[in-house]
This record gives sequence, C-alpha cells and structure tokens, in this order.
Amino acid sequence: MTSTDVVVVGGGIAGTAMAYYLARSGIEVMLVERGELNREASGTNAGSFHLQLAIHQLSGQGTGTDRERLLAEARLSLLAYAGWQSLGDELGGDLEVHQTGGWMVAETETELRILYEKQVLEERAGIETEVVTGDDLRERAPYLAPHLTGATYCPWEGHANPLVVAPLYARRAAEKGAVIRTHTDVLGIDVHGSSGARRFTVHTSAGPIDAHRIVDCAGAWAGQLASMVGLRFPVRSEGLHVNVTEPRPRMFHPMIQHIGRRLTLKQTDNNTFIIGGGWPTPTSAGRYPTSWHSAAGNTAVAVSVVPGLADVRVVRTWSGVIVFTGDFSPIVGESVAVPGFHACVSSTGFTFSPMFAEQLAEQMANPQAVSPFPERYSLDRLEST
Amino acid sequence: MTQLDLLVVGGGPAGISAAVTAARAGLRVLLADERPTLGGQIFKQPGPGFTVTDPGAMDRHFRFGASVVNSVTGTGVEVALRTAVVAVEGKQVVLVPDGQAARTVTAERMVLAPGAHDRPVVFPGWTLPGVITAGGLQTLAKTQRVLPGRRMLFAGSGPVALAFPAQLAKYGATVVAALEAGPPPGPVDIARLAGAAWGNVDLLRDAALYRATLLRHRVPLRYRRMVVRAEGDGRMERVVHAQVDADWRVVPGTEEVVTVDILGLGYGFVPSLELMRLVGCSFDHDENLGGHVVRRDEWQRTTVDGVYGAGDGAGVEGSYVAIDEGRIAGLAAALDAGRITHGSALKLAAPARRRLARRRALTAATKRLYRVGHGIYDMSTPDTVVCRCENVRSRDIADAVETTADINVVKAFTRAGMGPCQGRNCQRHIAAMIAARHGIADVPLATARMPVRPVPISAMADHTIEGPGLFLASESTP
Repeated sequence: MTSTDVVVVGGGIAGTAMAYYLARSGIEVMLVERGELNREASGTNAGSFHLQLAIHQLSGQGTGTDRERLLAEARLSLLAYAGWQSLGDELGGDLEVHQTGGWMVAETETELRILYEKQVLEERAGIETEVVTGDDLRERAPYLAPHLTGATYCPWEGHANPLVVAPLYARRAAEKGAVIRTHTDVLGIDVHGSSGARRFTVHTSAGPIDAHRIVDCAGAWAGQLASMVGLRFPVRSEGLHVNVTEPRPRMFHPMIQHIGRRLTLKQTDNNTFIIGGGWPTPTSAGRYPTSWHSAAGNTAVAVSVVPGLADVRVVRTWSGVIVFTGDFSPIVGESVAVPGFHACVSSTGFTFSPMFAEQLAEQMANPQAVSPFPERYSLDRLEST
Repeated sequence: MTQLDLLVVGGGPAGISAAVTAARAGLRVLLADERPTLGGQIFKQPGPGFTVTDPGAMDRHFRFGASVVNSVTGTGVEVALRTAVVAVEGKQVVLVPDGQAARTVTAERMVLAPGAHDRPVVFPGWTLPGVITAGGLQTLAKTQRVLPGRRMLFAGSGPVALAFPAQLAKYGATVVAALEAGPPPGPVDIARLAGAAWGNVDLLRDAALYRATLLRHRVPLRYRRMVVRAEGDGRMERVVHAQVDADWRVVPGTEEVVTVDILGLGYGFVPSLELMRLVGCSFDHDENLGGHVVRRDEWQRTTVDGVYGAGDGAGVEGSYVAIDEGRIAGLAAALDAGRITHGSALKLAAPARRRLARRRALTAATKRLYRVGHGIYDMSTPDTVVCRCENVRSRDIADAVETTADINVVKAFTRAGMGPCQGRNCQRHIAAMIAARHGIADVPLATARMPVRPVPISAMADHTIEGPGLFLASESTP
C-alpha cells in the first residue's frame, strides 16, 4: 500500500502551495486531485487583490464585531498581498503580479456616503485610500461615466495571473520531492486509533494511501472531505460568471469595482477586459454553465460605469466556483477532535492561500510550536458552538 | 417574447429546405442567418450593391442556387438576416441582429444547419498575408467580384480542389498549378464511380467540367502533392510543396519551390459545431466528414430533445445532401410537433432518402481518392504559430500537452483558443496533438460556452436586469 507522511487533498492554489511548503521543509507529501490542477476556483477567479474594505458585505448596520472582523481581515490582506510581491522570486517564475491601483465607484449619494465611511475604517486599518469626486474624478479617470457621484482610489490594489500560480507551485513542489497525483478522487477516509504508526487510510479512485496527516485543501468541496472524518465545515460555494472581451488599445490600468452593484472590471496585460463581480451561474450536475442573463446584466453594469466599453465585443465567458466560509473566517489549522486532520480553506482564497499554506506548513514542521492561528479559524468551531 | 414552433439556424441549402418544409406543414418558422443574403456559402448571392442583370450569364450552379433561395418566398417563413444566434438555454434562444440589441425568442424546436468552414491547416507560414482559404477566395469572387492577387497556387483535396481553381481561372486568375493531396483516379476508382453514377450524373458532370476547365486554362493538376510551407518577408512570396504518401506525409527530397502571390487552400471543410456543442449534442468522429459529426437518427434528430442537425454542419457531404437532410429535418420537426402523421412524414421523406442513399454511394466510391490523411496535422514545426489570435506557437502547446490530455488545461496554460475566433482555427490541431501524444482516439474539445459569436457589449447589455444583490456576510450556512 502507498504510504506517506502527509496527504494533501485538492490541486488548487492552497493544495499546491501546501505541497510546495511542506516539501520545502523536507516533509514527505503526496497531493491528490480528482481532476486536473487549478481547474476550479483557483484558476477561474479573476486574480484580483482587492484591499478596499468590503463594507457593503456588512450585514445590517454593521455591528461592532462585524467591523472588527473586517478590520482584522483588512490587515491580513495587506500581509498576504505583501507576500505576493516576493512570491515570484520564491517560485522562480513570473506570476504577473501588477500593482495597478483600484477604484471603487458610487452611482448614488447614498453610495458615496458609504464610500466616506469606508475610507475612515480603511485609515484605521492602515490602507491608503482617498475619496475622489467631481472634476477631480473626471480628470483622473476620464474613462468613468460622468454620472458617477464619486469613487475611492487605492493605489496598492493589483492583480496576478491565476492561470500560472498553482501550476508553478506544483512544479516546484515536485522538484522538491512532492508527489502529485491528478485524476485521483478521494472516496473515503478511515481514521485509525492513536496506537498505530499510521492514523489515516485515504481511499482513492487510484487505491488506498496510508498517511500520518491530511490537509484538506478541497475548497468548495472541503466540507465533503471533512465529513469523511466526522467534521462539519461552514463552507458554501456559488457558481459565478465572468465575461472576457477582445483586446483593445489600453483604456485604463486600475481595477474598477462598484460599492453598490456587482462589478469587477479590469483591462489585462493582454489588453482584454475581464468583467465579473459575482453574477450567478445556474448549477447543473456539478458544472456551471454561463448564462446570458448574467452576461447581459453584468455587462450592463460595466458599460454604465465605463461607457467606452459599448462597442467592445465579448468573445467568451467562463464560470468558476467561489468559496465562502459561512462566517467569512478562514478554516486553517489542525482539528482538535480529529488530531492529524488539517485544513487550509478560506474565502478570497487566491489572495490568502500562499500565506496560510506557508504558515500551516511551518506549524506542521514544528508541531510543538504554538499555533499561529486564532480561535476563530478553528476546524471544530461548528462542533463547539 | 416571440414564440416559434421552429427556429432554423443557417440559411444555406439545408436550413432553407428545412424551413420551407416545416412552414408548409403549418409550423411558425424563423430562419436566421448571419449573412446579408440567403444561400449559405455554396449558393452565396452577390453582395449588397451588386445586381445580377443577366441571370443567363451566370452558371447553372448559380441559377440552381437562386432557385433554392427563392423557394422561401411565399411560404410564410420569417427570415432574419445579418442575425447571429449566440446563446441557447433550453427553449430560450438569443439572437443578435447586426448593429442592434440582442433579442430572445422561445423556440419549441430548432434545426441547426450552421454549415461548415474551411478546414484550418497549420503549416509554417500559414498566417502570412497572401495565404487564403478556398472559402475566402470564393467569398471575394462571388460577392465582390474581386481576386486578391494574380499568380496563384491552389492546394487542397477533394472535389473542391478541382472546383475552385477552375472557377478562379474563369475569373481571370493565373493559377500556376493545382495540387491535390490525394491519388490520381485509377481504373478501380473509375469503375467504382461508374457503379455509383446512377442518380449522380450532375455531380460527375460537374467534376468532368472542372477538369475540362483546368485543362482549357492550362492549369497543371498534380496529384499527391501538398504545401509544406509558405515563405516571404511580411507577405507570402514563395510556396514550397512536396510529394506526400497515402497518409499525406511528406516524402523527403521531393520539395519544389514556386513563386506566387496567392496560395489558396482547400483541404475540405469542417462542420461549425459551436451551437450543437453548446446545447449538449453527442458527437461521433469521422475525419472524412470533417471530424466531429453530430449524432442523429434517421429523422435528423440529435441526442438533444427538439434539436435537429442538417447539412454540412452535421457532417460535410455537400449541398445536395444538405437539401435532402434539411427536408427530412423539417418533416421531423412537423412530425414531432404533431402537425403531420408518421405515415405521411415517411411518405414525404422517401424521395429525399432515396437521393441520399445514392449520394452516399458516390461518397463511398470516392473515399479512396478524397480520404483525409493524418499528415494534415503533422506539418507544423516547433516555431509555427498554432493559435493565431493569441500568437501561441507549437512548441508551447507541445509543452502543455506533455502535462495534460485535457484541451481546457492546455488552453488555460497557453491561452491557445482564447481569442476572437473562439478556437475555430486551432482547436482541432491541438486536439490532434493531444491525441498523438497521449494515444487517445477522440479528444474532447474545450468546454462550449456562450456566446458562440463575439457580441458587442452594447448589444449584450440589458439595463432592465436587476442585479442579484451583494454578497452578505450572514449567519453560518454550511
């Protein structure tokens, strides 16, 4: 029977990063992925690093805890984003990390008021932003529609190419001795008593694997995997729709989001426009077909914010899955209930996974050290409440 | 929203005959085509601004085409020209009329007759200006009366390899040679052809006429030769061609160089699969019919309920087959809609079925002559651009293919297939590279997505759509 120290489940950015950092620490690791690498959320997100606070995600009036969580998360995104700046050097490849700056626009007076509130919070979190309105805005962003009431600008925001990161992690992991097995589906996990040398038997479509430890990096499917060892993860997922246009001469560099409507928009290195922002896709039997309704609605928001897009042609659409932890807190660390079972799962996983994976790999290399992860990241939090 | 009994996509011979047949049976039919005129590629009518003052001066083929196009008149078929069908979701179909906003119609049934396009062939220099497909040359000649150059070499295979150079010679081009990749007809082929001739006199007479035209214009027709590469500085100046074996693989040491300003390519056609793939039809594979061929029953029903396939888009077999397949598809739509009985559908379909059987006998007889050799996929060098939209070279695709047999992954790694042509030019070639490297017979193409044609945002955007609201950090909902 195949055996290894650590089985990493999931070939997205979290899993490949785990495999890389574990292998770098000299830990024996095998990554299993049921399909191909980087085919789900890690490869189908738009690769954006949004630092401006998602204040519009606050439920209700934005309670104190909500705001504190948001601030903590903002500081964390800064750390994670800082890590991205040197990640290309670490992996010896071009991840196409660009700091382009980013706008978050408002179309109504109410939305503009939220922008001002948001800016105050951002100042507290140490994120550099400014609210720009009127002629100032027209001058600095002539491509934005004249009816916008204002926009916040954050010079630090940027993006990387999601198509290259996970595959590069996987390649470097393999070079450092990690074993990568694609087309290997996990069917079940046996948890053995603490007496034996092996704690887990991972049953896969390619045969069983004995392992001391498991890291659940299965993203949208992390909950299904966790349930195989009796844990419940607060993970949900949605299909979402993205539109891509033909290339056009450079119209703008910064990313553009909307404080009140679903829009993210950027012009890529290839000069195409990527228009997304979380418009839904119908779910059918595990795949997410794109829908005309979302394309028509999403492009309507885009063209009302950037009128110059009117004659640009959409050449393709894609859909991906987006992962949410129900409470927006990551699920990272080792389970108390099932020792040896680890997880590295988060909302906004593209931004956070490299950082969390590195931290978790360090923790796994030195299990005696104090966990760097706060209680709210706990794998067991649904059991304990 | 418009409610249709039948939407026919494609205004070529198959689509026209399906629409007319179904309308006669009482169905409310909309016939949509991207072009400004009906007729498809084969019966392409002169473009806007051109008028045929003397139909007698046009050839028999043109007159037949015009009669097919005119058969729509008075049948009650609603025709939407310059209109692309870009998305299908269940019975909802999105149409984009050129320069206007998209509109959605509800169609109970759909005949997909999208036709075929030139088989893209990847070889060094294929992207140079001056290298043009048979279809492109034909469009220029038929709709604009324009020839893009003076000295032409024509290279291809199949009946088209004869037809196009003959037509172009008539338009006044100097065709220095026509290269046919297949073998010259031998006694066995002639015997087979004679056996299949009954009922196919027109086709054989056409072939004879093309040959005679070539002879009259002193165009040498050379068998078993293919283009190896096109060369030139910024545009095509020279073509290197060589002898090939039965599998269309180049025989070393047989290369010749010829100086021309136009290289016309006619290595057959491949079905336009986008809509059939989008709605989820099943396919079979026959390289001689253009590769992926939509699976259908004796009534042209695909594996998707209410969707029928007809004409070259359902396997490239030419306009005569297209007309009859269209007729059967139209009858099937009427039958399935309960407008005609099974008995009368059978009776009405019988003559078309008899003709189809005869055409297919001829196809079988010419199979040895016009078989597509696998060497068609072996002509690129590592440096050759395979995806011309994104400028991706063969070596980069080969690197990706080393790590995966999934064309979607190759696309994500290399960007090949992400451009405005939506993979029409490169996808089959990449699939063939995967097939060769991984020993897979039939490599699935990339996931089909709408829109199947590029759509301007002004046509796509619908400002009446209410957004889905913003993501909220709510209570845990595992």
